[in-house]
Amino acid sequence: MPDNWGFVLAAYGLAAIVLIAYWRFLSRRGKELEDATAIRHDLRQPSRAAETGQPQPNPASRRPSP
Amino acid sequence: MRRLLGGVTLVGLLAGLVLGFGIAPRESTQGNVQRIMYLHVPSVWVAYLAFGVVLVASIAYLVRRAESADRLAHASAEVGVLFTGLTIATGSIWGKPTWGTWWTWDARLTSVSILFVMYLGYLLLRGMIDDRERGARFAAVLGIIAAFNIPLVHFSVYWWRTLHQPPSLMKPGPGTMPGIIVAALLVNFAAFTLLYVYFVTTRARLLRLETEAEA
Repeated sequence: MPDNWGFVLAAYGLAAIVLIAYWRFLSRRGKELEDATAIRHDLRQPSRAAETGQPQPNPASRRPSP
Repeated sequence: MRRLLGGVTLVGLLAGLVLGFGIAPRESTQGNVQRIMYLHVPSVWVAYLAFGVVLVASIAYLVRRAESADRLAHASAEVGVLFTGLTIATGSIWGKPTWGTWWTWDARLTSVSILFVMYLGYLLLRGMIDDRERGARFAAVLGIIAAFNIPLVHFSVYWWRTLHQPPSLMKPGPGTMPGIIVAALLVNFAAFTLLYVYFVTTRARLLRLETEAEA
């Protein structure tokens, strides 16, 4: 029987594409959610500081994001 | 920890490739196309494992109403669908040179397609119901019902006359395959299991973050 390397490559190539695509989806979604969590955490901090009477950071001192 | 697991998984997958392509011999009947087995069989193993976990986690959710069990079931079903799709696709690619057809409605292929569609339906059901608790409850029931299809898929080759060969490894009794082929297959089994654990733990963590973000 011929070796049919083309079929072998097709099977492994397809699996590699699918698995890498899913891994990338998980990585990107993870980064998005971590960023969103960090932003939410930052937004909650000043209001909590106001409640406890702690001095709040000056917004003008913040560097603009690139 | 997840990075370490990812690294070990990658090493395992590379070892599986080296064994499957570099060390395991060319099969005398089918030729090199038989090397698709090192991808196809571990994929279906992961699908069985994933849907088994969905079954256990779904029962746990219905008994304890723990959100972590629901997230585990959700994540495992998603990964299971991914690997079932891979099983069907790689089986079809393997079938063309060996059987002369991409697809045939034999018992194994049909039952595994039903399994795929049922868990795809499971994921769609979760997405369709806005009430999280209600969606989790309905999905848990479907996750338990759909699991009854797993033995049907596995034993279909014994119960009906099929084009698909009976299992060479996941069966009782002594094996008929040469040791080096079994070793290559077992390394791939281990690597794919690690990949499953990596994907499911990562996905379950994302589902927790999504829930927190919505709260």
